[in-house]
Amino acid sequence: MSSESIWDRLQTIDRRIFYWILFIALMIPFIRPLSLPIALTPTTRGLYDELAKVQPGDVCLLSINSGVSAWPDCLPAMVASVKMLVRQEAKIIVWGMGHVDVDITWNKIVSKVPELETYTYGEDYAYFGYLPTQETTIALLASNIRGVFTLDKYGNPIDSLRIMEGVNTAEDFRVALSSDTGDIGDYYVRQWHTNYRTPVAEIGIAMLGSSYMPYFLSGDIFGMTVGSRGGAELEKLVGAPGDGTITMDAINVSHILVVIAVILANVGYFATRRSR
Amino acid sequence: MFLPNVAQYPTDPAGIAGVWAALLLMLAIYSYPLYKENRVFRFAEHTFIAAAMAISIITYIDSLLRTQLRGLITGEQVLLIVPVILGLMMYALLHPDYRWMSRYPIAILVGSAMGLGISSVIIPQITNQVISTITAPTTGGARAWFDFIVIAIGTICATLYFLLTYEHTGVLKPTTRIGRLFIMLGLGAYFGNTTLFRLSMLAGRAQYFLQVLKIIPM
Repeated sequence: MSSESIWDRLQTIDRRIFYWILFIALMIPFIRPLSLPIALTPTTRGLYDELAKVQPGDVCLLSINSGVSAWPDCLPAMVASVKMLVRQEAKIIVWGMGHVDVDITWNKIVSKVPELETYTYGEDYAYFGYLPTQETTIALLASNIRGVFTLDKYGNPIDSLRIMEGVNTAEDFRVALSSDTGDIGDYYVRQWHTNYRTPVAEIGIAMLGSSYMPYFLSGDIFGMTVGSRGGAELEKLVGAPGDGTITMDAINVSHILVVIAVILANVGYFATRRSR
Repeated sequence: MFLPNVAQYPTDPAGIAGVWAALLLMLAIYSYPLYKENRVFRFAEHTFIAAAMAISIITYIDSLLRTQLRGLITGEQVLLIVPVILGLMMYALLHPDYRWMSRYPIAILVGSAMGLGISSVIIPQITNQVISTITAPTTGGARAWFDFIVIAIGTICATLYFLLTYEHTGVLKPTTRIGRLFIMLGLGAYFGNTTLFRLSMLAGRAQYFLQVLKIIPM
């Protein structure tokens, strides 16, 4: 018979047991949504308020700089933003940087925004596809889009797209939304907002919340969604609950499990330390 | 104009095979943390890396054709020959005798990025942040004032913590200790957000698992 006390065992639970519990527990809210309340943060409110001011015909940018792996965090906010822009009758230009799977992400957004069917390609929206980039490219896009793109994703010369009439610099955009897993949002702040005063917003993964908060407090970005929570908040504001809202239930369940695990491990640690 | 609809469960055999292949490969990858390292995991890992590399190369070539080579071939943007040559010079890195050639495009790349970065960093990341920190709130009431004071104390004390030219004694001792506390709080928040992101990814996979099994709609 093992001489280990229950406190010792609490500290040495096989992590795989916890992973199994976590993976299974995460599925429950998807099957049976808990509909837990979602409180609004000023950052998401700021994003929504500015999008609500967009006028019909304004040209807006969605820069998809997040990959498929970041869908749970970024996709809900991107979908809600596009829904909002369509509702405002804005024109939307989309391109992507940083992740080569941008086509799949844009395709997913289109699938989740049926309202886009009322839009005409080339006139109301355009998609330019993936572009490998660093800050220099974003600076060039700010000063001369045609210096970077001559064709859209489907091989049409961009000058043949009506949406591009009179659009060639960052000044021609009403807002720029940057969906990020890394630094590209910084580049938009530095090259588009600082140099051209284009309002920039961040749709970021949860990790970027603390990184971009100073920009929000200083007014360099007008809004920000932080992870799936931000997406759920924006869905609530737009009035179109979706994946973000459901994912938040799963996230809440996972957090409860993590908290329980931390408490159990610490209880075990302090109990065994006292006995020694 | 669009790629196949990925927001609905596929009905064609290729699509169904695709979502099931994705699910099985996902479970193969998860077999590592949920069980232990095994051959199925390694197969999925190698498949993932190979597929990611193949997709990257195709996407890069497509992007290169649209943004660089087309303008060059049609003669509309002859000057694009310059970045194309500089890009090709990068590959000289692979040959020891011609490695020196790669230094020029690297120097231009680093130099231009530094020049752009430095010139545009000052306003949003230094000036605006200082102004934002020292400007008292005019709206928001007591909560805004509380935030303002906490941020001010945190900024000053955390900055003092990195004052390495003086020994942290006397008045510097408590302030740098508070500064260290703020840094730890900041890093803790960052770590918490990192965990949140990883759990979001896992939630996404759990959702996909249920979608492929048609337990919930795709």
